[in-house]
Amino acid sequence: MKLLTHNMLTSHVKGVTCGYPLLIQATEVKLNDVDFNAEFVARMIPKMEWSALVGAADSLGHLNDLPKDLVSDYENNEDFLRKVHHILLEVEVLEGTLKCPESGEFPVSKGVPNMLLNEDRVLRHPKTWIGLGCVSVCVVM
Amino acid sequence: MEQFLIKEVISKLAAFDVEHVQGKVFFTTSANVKKLQGLKSAERLFLLLKKEPPMNVPWNTGKAKHVIQKKIIGDDRVWMDTLSTWQILQRDLNDNSSYKSKTKNSQKRKWEEADKKEHNKKMNLDGGLVGSPSQVDLERIPDHQESIELDSGICGDDGKSSVCEKVSQEDVSLNHKELSALFRVSCRCSGSIAKRFNAQELGQIIGTAITEQLGWKAELRDPDVEVNVHLSDAHCVLGIPVFRLPLAHRTYIKTTGLRSTIAWAMVSLADIKAGTTLLDPMCGVGTILLEAAEDWQGAFFLGFDINESQLKEAYNNVQFANLTENIDLIRASVMEIPFPSASVDAIVCDIPFGRKFNSETDMRTMLPDILKEMERVLCVGGNLVLLLSPQLSVHLKKYFNKECKAANNAISSSEHTEDAGTSSQDTNGKMVPFTREATLKENCNSLSKHFASLVPNGTYRVSLGATDALIHRYKKVSI
Repeated sequence: MKLLTHNMLTSHVKGVTCGYPLLIQATEVKLNDVDFNAEFVARMIPKMEWSALVGAADSLGHLNDLPKDLVSDYENNEDFLRKVHHILLEVEVLEGTLKCPESGEFPVSKGVPNMLLNEDRVLRHPKTWIGLGCVSVCVVM
Repeated sequence: MEQFLIKEVISKLAAFDVEHVQGKVFFTTSANVKKLQGLKSAERLFLLLKKEPPMNVPWNTGKAKHVIQKKIIGDDRVWMDTLSTWQILQRDLNDNSSYKSKTKNSQKRKWEEADKKEHNKKMNLDGGLVGSPSQVDLERIPDHQESIELDSGICGDDGKSSVCEKVSQEDVSLNHKELSALFRVSCRCSGSIAKRFNAQELGQIIGTAITEQLGWKAELRDPDVEVNVHLSDAHCVLGIPVFRLPLAHRTYIKTTGLRSTIAWAMVSLADIKAGTTLLDPMCGVGTILLEAAEDWQGAFFLGFDINESQLKEAYNNVQFANLTENIDLIRASVMEIPFPSASVDAIVCDIPFGRKFNSETDMRTMLPDILKEMERVLCVGGNLVLLLSPQLSVHLKKYFNKECKAANNAISSSEHTEDAGTSSQDTNGKMVPFTREATLKENCNSLSKHFASLVPNGTYRVSLGATDALIHRYKKVSI
């Protein structure tokens, strides 16, 4: 799983309203060498949830010196685009778990996250509790 | 598939004189052989020998044979020219490094066959590219032979008879004598001519003519060229395959799922640009993702499947094709896509149906929910491309039927008149039709409300071999 994919993933456990971003707890991370395509990265950035991307990179220790806030005029900033390219495509989570900020977790095995819900997962997290948790989180934000 | 092919040869090969008949596309190009090899929506590629109107065969069998032979062979210069073009193509093909030679070919006329049946599907991949690159010699792959022979009847006894025939044929013009080939005839026929002769007999008749008049040598087991003849009531087409393996056979796909040509055609409708994220939420072994990632760079491809073993195959396929850079796989359900709304630019999906999963009935009931989820995660302006069985296609069309709205209007107007003129009618008689109409109206309303942001944007019928299927395209609009 690349961080690009992680940036899109959200928990869909019933009752969870703030299932994003998923917290990465990685036990194995691989760094790949992927050809740099400036146009691709530049077009991908506006689609990304920047804070989630930075957070994910940071949690894996691959933030390098990527700014917490998205720089302006990044389209022509190759240095910046290369850094984003690296965290979007080159950092790959092979083994670990994705934790929903509210409840539940999804295993990642061989780089493939398993986002299927099983009965267990739904039962373990009663609706009422989740609802309350989310309200407080949203107020803080 | 013809419309996809036409678009592809024009855009990729700058082809001209593009014509088509059912199942075949004819074009002229000066593109090099590597580019030809990169065609994705064609099943097989042939160098065109000749294309003629159908033959009128006389009733007398002897005469008929004569007419066929005369008509098929015609001017032997055409054969020799085609053969030499073919040899140049083979040389280019074997000479992997020779990009310099690309301009030397004159324009070649080719024909492509769009929807051959899936004879050649199961082929040994490793056999694909072995062989020694030597002058004109083709790679000789023994186990490949079978797959071509499956195509159609092969002239049976040609090998034996040709030897003695050749001796008597001394008057083949001199300059042509040096240009000879080991050949075999593959014949397919339909219509009136098929009632007179079977493919085997025709192959034999044509094979004899080629040995007699052109001096080529018949070789059933291991020919240089395979003369493909297709005779029908509509046309009479002869060609020589440019490649030993069908184009539809992808060297980068290890486990085949959906037909590669159709997967590519579907992806071509998704309108992929730089930075596009494309999702196949029921990817199976990943054929659509592979076809997409192989031919469209600068985009990102995501595949879901709920089934672990399918996903494992997809994983192996992606690894094998070396496309891990652009593809990520996730075990997830299309009914609960773990993405936020409006997060992907395109969705391409082969909706499972029929024999394989035995899920036709389930799918009918599931389809609305599936489509709703797809509609949710698709961006405004994004394309949704689905492959559906004819039954599911009809079923789905109901949801987008404009007549439904028309029916709504009709119902409300008839209600009106009924209300006005039926005050004297007894309540029983009135209630029954009214409730029926009401439920019908409700159905229509709920149906059209379902996918309010999806606008149908084209339907294409394609052949899966034994059955047909339909590609539906929708565009998501803002509402």
